[in-house]
Amino acid sequence: MKFKLENTDQNLDGEIVKSIGNNEFVLKIQGKERDLKIVTMTHDKVEFMLDSVYHITKYLENSTNRITLVVDGVKLTFNKRPEMDKIVYKNSGADSASDSQINLKSQIPGRVVSINVTAGDNVKKGDVVCVLESMKMQISIKSHKDGVVKSLKMKQGSSVAKNDVLAEIE
Amino acid sequence: MHSEKIKNFLHKRRQAEQSGGEERIQGQHEKGKLTARERIDLLLDEGSFTEIDAMTTHHYYEFDMQNKKFFGDGVVTGYGTIHGKQVFLFAYDFTVLGGTLSEMGAKKITKIMDHAVKVGCPIIGIIDSGGARIQEGILSLDGFASIFYHNQLASGVVPQITISVGPSAGGAVYSPAMTDFVIMADKISTMFVTGPEVVKTVLGEEVSFDELGGAMSHGRNSGVAHFVGKNEYHCMDIVKTLLSYIPQNSTEEVPVVETGDDPNRLDNNLINIIPENPLQPYDMKEIISSIVDNHVFFEIHELFAPNVVVGFARLHGKTIGIVANQPMVLAGALDIDSSNKASRFIRFCDCYGIPIITLVDTPGYMPGTQQEHAGIIRHGSKLLYAYCEATVPKITLIIGKAYGGAYIAMSSKNLGTDVNYAWPTAQIAVLGSEAAVRIMNRKELDSAKDPAVLKKQLVDNFTEKFANPYVAASYGTIDSVIDPAETRPALIRALDALANKRERRVPRKHGNINL
Amino acid sequence: MIKKILISNRGEIAIRVIKACNALGIKSVAVYSDEDVNSKHVKMASEAYHIGPAPPAQSYLNMEKIVETAISSGADAIHPGYGFLSENADFADLCEKKNLNFIGPSGKSMRLCGDKMECKDAMIKAKVPTVPGSPGIVEEVEKALNIAHDIGYPVLLKSVFGGGGRGIRLVHNEQELREAFEIASGESKAAFGKSALFVEKFLPKIRHIELQLARDKHGNAVHIFERECSIQRRHQKLIEMSPSPVVDQKTRDQIGELAVNAAIAVDYLNAGTAEFLRLDDGTFYFIEINARLQVEHPVTELVSGLDLVKLQIDIANGKEIPFKQKDLKVNGCSIECRINAEDTFLDFAPSTGKIWDVNIPSGPGVRVDTYLYPGCTVSPYYDSLMGKLITWGQNFEEARQRMSLALSDFYIEGVETAIPLYKTILNSKEFINGDLSTDFLDRFKILDRLQSDLKNEALQKSEPALAATLIHSEFLKNKIKPRKEHNIRWKTQVDRH
Repeated sequence: MKFKLENTDQNLDGEIVKSIGNNEFVLKIQGKERDLKIVTMTHDKVEFMLDSVYHITKYLENSTNRITLVVDGVKLTFNKRPEMDKIVYKNSGADSASDSQINLKSQIPGRVVSINVTAGDNVKKGDVVCVLESMKMQISIKSHKDGVVKSLKMKQGSSVAKNDVLAEIE
Repeated sequence: MHSEKIKNFLHKRRQAEQSGGEERIQGQHEKGKLTARERIDLLLDEGSFTEIDAMTTHHYYEFDMQNKKFFGDGVVTGYGTIHGKQVFLFAYDFTVLGGTLSEMGAKKITKIMDHAVKVGCPIIGIIDSGGARIQEGILSLDGFASIFYHNQLASGVVPQITISVGPSAGGAVYSPAMTDFVIMADKISTMFVTGPEVVKTVLGEEVSFDELGGAMSHGRNSGVAHFVGKNEYHCMDIVKTLLSYIPQNSTEEVPVVETGDDPNRLDNNLINIIPENPLQPYDMKEIISSIVDNHVFFEIHELFAPNVVVGFARLHGKTIGIVANQPMVLAGALDIDSSNKASRFIRFCDCYGIPIITLVDTPGYMPGTQQEHAGIIRHGSKLLYAYCEATVPKITLIIGKAYGGAYIAMSSKNLGTDVNYAWPTAQIAVLGSEAAVRIMNRKELDSAKDPAVLKKQLVDNFTEKFANPYVAASYGTIDSVIDPAETRPALIRALDALANKRERRVPRKHGNINL
Repeated sequence: MIKKILISNRGEIAIRVIKACNALGIKSVAVYSDEDVNSKHVKMASEAYHIGPAPPAQSYLNMEKIVETAISSGADAIHPGYGFLSENADFADLCEKKNLNFIGPSGKSMRLCGDKMECKDAMIKAKVPTVPGSPGIVEEVEKALNIAHDIGYPVLLKSVFGGGGRGIRLVHNEQELREAFEIASGESKAAFGKSALFVEKFLPKIRHIELQLARDKHGNAVHIFERECSIQRRHQKLIEMSPSPVVDQKTRDQIGELAVNAAIAVDYLNAGTAEFLRLDDGTFYFIEINARLQVEHPVTELVSGLDLVKLQIDIANGKEIPFKQKDLKVNGCSIECRINAEDTFLDFAPSTGKIWDVNIPSGPGVRVDTYLYPGCTVSPYYDSLMGKLITWGQNFEEARQRMSLALSDFYIEGVETAIPLYKTILNSKEFINGDLSTDFLDRFKILDRLQSDLKNEALQKSEPALAATLIHSEFLKNKIKPRKEHNIRWKTQVDRH
């Protein structure tokens, strides 16, 4: 199976050759056979030995075409289906791109201190849409693109969580 | 030994895997669609797919069909696992004769459905089909009928999910409609009974494929689609998430997952979500998000009838179904579409032992001729019927307004609800204060010297006496008025206390829900 | 003699003070809000009292409640830590009124130091050089714009009452100044109740160098060397060290004397810090006196061998400082990295949540002051400092290398931190050469380097990561654990109702 490491040009090839049982596997990575033994598995972490080198992994996100994990403290994302992307994205935009095109999401949790635009306003990329307060600091949230404010999804004084949609900008 | 036979077998197997051939696969890809086997590969766990009936072919000879034989005959069927759970599936193969359904194709599909029912595992159908195979005529139509029959046999026995990633027209759309959940891929899938050409010919109306029966149209207007996926990847993700919430069959316990969220977590901020002014709307989903495990709410039918919110979530690791009014849309009033949406969801939860939690804040039913003439009476009764019929643990929490018939319909005590809670902000009454006073004290108001002052006095009086949860609490219709901050622990404890609920009804063939 | 100290603070500094109390055999009293019920400082203190709901105004800033708690718990002294009420003159006065020994300077002294304009005046009188800038407070944005136009962009918009780098904004043009003025006004009002801002010229390639001061009730005043805190982000310190690579003994003596004079000029008492700016040509300008113990005090402790919190308590007890200026000698070198819960790539936006796992580094010359433990929470109500990683070495290079290795061992799961950023900085040739300045991050495009460092790290881990991806399905199967007994009912089921 082919995997592409996101944000790089690197493509890797890997597959499970066989499962020996007792949580031991023979893998083939980049053409070379490697031994893997799972040391422990908890509900969010796996510790394993890959050819007698210890590694610890935490799985963050997993979807049909992507997986994000933290290996030995380093976070990375693999695209699991690099060959299919072209076909699947033909009719829709790329996964996250089409979402953020309309939705302006909050990067942080916080309280809405002020809302600086109303529905129907024209905004340019970088214009302040609202101000959030978090950890004693006020942070202005700026528009991610030029456009027209379609709707506001927050109100003054309310609390927002990370990744909440604050406004729709078309 | 037998090397010739082995060689022949391997050749045939390779051919079967080729479906309609390299050229047609290219054509499929150019349209931005994946092949049946690629979709199965995306959906199932790596290497878990076992295909059956790979070498079936049709046996037709009219219209020169004997020269157009393909292995598989337009459908790929088999079984595999999704995150370790066994599922059975069939996927229409658009590269073979346009994915049209034939007699053999229908046989394959019903065979896999029978197998699934025998072992109690979910059935997933991937639809990408040109419809009936005209050449096979009546055999194709009978094939569809057979599939529909099996849909009914399996309904309420094992979960049935449809992933629509291509066209599906004419009678073919009825199979998805009978399944429990339909996921349509935006811009790729379409479903309609009669296509745009016939619409143009018969009615002179011009409409595009997507407008008539595309994913967004069904997601928003008709409610045929429970989910609209951004693309095929997203559709698969939706199915995998959905399956994590529901049991394998109707006798299996609801799945329990370790979520790590403290069951005793209080939220002192919950009460601040409700504005002081009862006429001001708020987002019910904020309240749901606070209560459930890890703030994760899997909403179903998000775009359809948004005045009611339904979906799955977990409380203390266990799956629950949530039905809630949405004050931000139509003030949370009930109407035809929302009654249908909620009833179907409640009945699904009842089939599979999923406890139902209802959050109430509704001013009543939508008035007007449009609703009345379209039959709000009939459709509204479905909601009542569904709640009464359900024997899963039922818990209701009245958050705000709960007036009249809508109060009754939203899982009130005497519909067989097990536990009824209310917040101090609940207003349970036959009518809103203003309307009540207008009716009850009409004579006094007409003959009063200063009607405005008297009205205010009467309204305040009424509000104080009736628009609160305490009257209901005094009669035991509300089991408990709870502190909003403690909502989550209260619900979890109620669920724990209802864990092995068992209810017996008088045996009958089935009731007669008003349809 | 002080027998019981109430610590009107939380987090790592509360723990630090508790440790000093334990060393002196003094009882410690912790206070906590709703958010901090499970905090480490609560567990470590001799006694702990609940003082209110999460928002600081109702708990850690609630003077009356804190004083009341001190009295009812029998505490005879209060240590304010840093931040919160540590530089609140009213609080110091209140403590004095209620006969509680406030471990720090007097309210009067604090007022003088806290009002940056007045303090500047006092310094000018004491012949301590100060930074050129706006003659007074600007109340309206138009006035700010005029001054900025006169002294020339870029300028710093500062809050008169800000401390610890907050309320300072760098603006490059009129539009930025307008925007920043509004926000800074709001912040200032929210944190200190009033909005008073002033404009100062921004000087590039400057180093932030501060001197640790101590003065006792007998009038003895010393400085305990300098700290260089030039590596900052939005004017908040990230990395501090002692000694500074550009301060030799002669300069140390010179500036040290200036700093001591400054302390005497404001009649300072107990431990404090005099902050200076050093231009590229070696000129020093006084900025302000921080009338409290600072976050970065550990680097001074490690190069002097002193316990500064113990010293504070001793001074509060009326003891004389037990050494003379000439007795103090810098020993080795110490570096500190502030471990904040912030997302480097989201403009250092705060990152909050539960900390699932922590691995705290240790070893020769490695010290960690932190409130973290597996299962604790980083709250959105308070600032983002989770702890400090401090190393000591016989020379700069040893301290730097120990820090680099310790950073790799420091594992925090649950929030984003700047640990990868620190690794990039510590290993950069500019840092190694001591080429520090307050615009270090921008000058050397450190964030870009961080991106490429992370990319390289990811590439290095790509194979084990791929292995982990391949066995992900095993992981999922283990997580879901289907219970075999479920489908037995299916087999034996006869009919339903």
